[in-house]
Amino acid sequence: MKFRYVVAAALAVAVAAGAPTAGARTDGDAASSTLTVWLMTDAQGGAWADVVSAANRQFESAHPGIEVDVQIQTWGDHLTKLDAALAGGRAPDVVELGNTETTKYMAAGALANITGNRGSFPNSRTWLQALTQSCTYQGRLFCVPYYAGARAVIYRRDHWRQAGLRKAPASLDAFVNAGKRLMRLKRSDRNYSALYFPGKYWYAAMSFVYDYGGAIARFRNGRWVGTLDSQFALRGLRKWKETARALSRANRSGTEATQWTVFSQGRVGATISNGWEWGLIIDPENGNPRLNLGAFPMPSHTKGKFMPTFLGGSDLAIPATSGNRALALDWIRTFTSNGNMRTLTSAAGVIPNTTSLAGVNASKPQLAPFAQAAKASWFVPTAPNWANVENAQVLQNMLSSILTGRSTVEAASRRASTQITQILNAR
Amino acid sequence: MSAAPRAATPAAEPLLSSRRRERGLPARVAAGAPPYLLVLPTLVVLVGVLAYPLYWLGRISFEHYGLAELIARKGTWTGLDNYRHMLGDAEFWRIVARTIAFTVVNVGLTMLFATLIALLLVRMGTIVRGAVLVGLVWVWATPVTVAIAVWQWMVDFEFGVLNWTLTKLHVVDLIHYNWFDNPWTGFAVITAVVVWGAIPFAAITIYAGFSQVPQELVEAAEVDGASAWEVFWRVTFPLVKPIFVIVTSLSIIWDFQVFNQIWIMLEFRPSPDYYLLGVYSFVESFRVSQYGLGAAIAVVMVVLMLGVSFVYVRQMVRISEADA
Repeated sequence: MKFRYVVAAALAVAVAAGAPTAGARTDGDAASSTLTVWLMTDAQGGAWADVVSAANRQFESAHPGIEVDVQIQTWGDHLTKLDAALAGGRAPDVVELGNTETTKYMAAGALANITGNRGSFPNSRTWLQALTQSCTYQGRLFCVPYYAGARAVIYRRDHWRQAGLRKAPASLDAFVNAGKRLMRLKRSDRNYSALYFPGKYWYAAMSFVYDYGGAIARFRNGRWVGTLDSQFALRGLRKWKETARALSRANRSGTEATQWTVFSQGRVGATISNGWEWGLIIDPENGNPRLNLGAFPMPSHTKGKFMPTFLGGSDLAIPATSGNRALALDWIRTFTSNGNMRTLTSAAGVIPNTTSLAGVNASKPQLAPFAQAAKASWFVPTAPNWANVENAQVLQNMLSSILTGRSTVEAASRRASTQITQILNAR
Repeated sequence: MSAAPRAATPAAEPLLSSRRRERGLPARVAAGAPPYLLVLPTLVVLVGVLAYPLYWLGRISFEHYGLAELIARKGTWTGLDNYRHMLGDAEFWRIVARTIAFTVVNVGLTMLFATLIALLLVRMGTIVRGAVLVGLVWVWATPVTVAIAVWQWMVDFEFGVLNWTLTKLHVVDLIHYNWFDNPWTGFAVITAVVVWGAIPFAAITIYAGFSQVPQELVEAAEVDGASAWEVFWRVTFPLVKPIFVIVTSLSIIWDFQVFNQIWIMLEFRPSPDYYLLGVYSFVESFRVSQYGLGAAIAVVMVVLMLGVSFVYVRQMVRISEADA
């Protein structure tokens, strides 16, 4: 109540004074001296943060008087924030988008068309094909590839050796059987997971679907159709359920968001992880440097092959509403320079945005398996509405209802497919 | 603003009123203007923070309004399409039923515990009462987000204090028990958080009402042989009924739109089993970018809440009339 009086009083004063100055905006000056950049939490710590601040220093020395304001966002709600900022005309000048999120924004006209600037970006001739595709809509370029990530199994060598696994397993069954032996060996620890697999970890679960020849959705006769209830997808989902139930005691309604924390506490034999999680698991401050880790690509149910991994990644885009397009372009050029990308690749363990740097981590045992895994990959349906499927948590909800036993595989996948068909075809 | 001191000078009053009859319409309007001028700032604020957003909410609910429209700030009129889609969706009716059931249970529990605590407060010694009041105010003062974080740790899957305690006490085995796997236990936790947070306001307000009941009436009833229940039901309750009406209608308004407790508790990703109307509207708007449909759901909420607010406002008006 008091607040309302204060506002009323303030307004009364403003009205009495005629308040002509309230309309005079000084944004023009403010906007040109600050460049606002939204990056995701991954860039918040360690070697990654060092690359960001190095790029900012380079940029600021090339543009005296301009300050770069990097605002760190979380994956959970950054799109909600971006939508609100776009609607309010206060969007950042540069925004990081996941490669599954870009299509929706390109189709809605939210991003600046930078086709004409393509040649001016470092390594643009050798950009990763998959990321470049995620930046292209109707033949035009709307963002710049930033980095990619592929998932592989990170495991405790000492634990799995006890279960008889001395090298990368040749098939999914060999892996699951060794995991079952490991669970029996560790049966006295009721918190132990041979393969820690949270219920809502859809990137890893969908790999089973694609391994058995299924898909999330397919484009048929001019419209999208959810296909998680197809025979192939069902086979993959059943195998996933069996694997997670047998090897994991992770939260069946939980996410993979902090799985490295659980790993570093010692009651986990393996996780399906991105390359950079290795460093987090053995981080001297927040992790456990004594763990004896190894990595291999997740094996396929077909002997000798790898299970397709989700090729994740991020792109850097300029919202169409930004008044600082030239500066934003230049910041992106600086940030994705060959030198900065090389540091990011070797120090943070990402897959670089250019094939010309693919060799940087080839000889590192803790990073090579991830690059190897990336050779067999799957990607989400490239429908403009795909981000809405992610936002509505359709896959996560399906997976956790299967794993907790609230629904059968058949019923849950049918429901999810109907939902996906509906969302992808919504106008 | 410079007009105000003149009007307030009492000495000028008789002079003004003797002239009033002779003046024309413009002058009379000018004389009647100050009260309206004084309400004007409040009105401007109310229009700015309530009427304008409500106008937009209503308007968007009749439009196709997706991300492209959001950026262009211009929707396309589709008439009743959003409402037709919403009312034809079985999911919507399930959520309405769930929201009503949730509200009934939460308001019921809040009122029950708040009344019991208020009755206790009346009978307590000064020191104990002070301690209980401080405890209540602490709960009241805890920001919702902080409270939710604390409760999250209580029922956490890996490290939950509640799970650990109950297991150690051999009540039930809750190692690696996820309260939110089953919507019933999940909603039990959410209800606990909501009721826990709502009790202080209700209890203190009802206690304030109880303390206004004349002691003679209670004593007279007791002398006449009324039991404790009869004293409460026939003497105390009728006297403080207006307060019960107000607290209940406020609780209904709050519990009907519970959002944070579900949204934050379930880490911004509640499964559809946990959708109440507020959460559903948010998901449709901000997660699926169907702002038109989300707005239509919100309009339904506003209409339903207007009914409850009517009861509340009527009671408030009655009280102020009785005071005057």
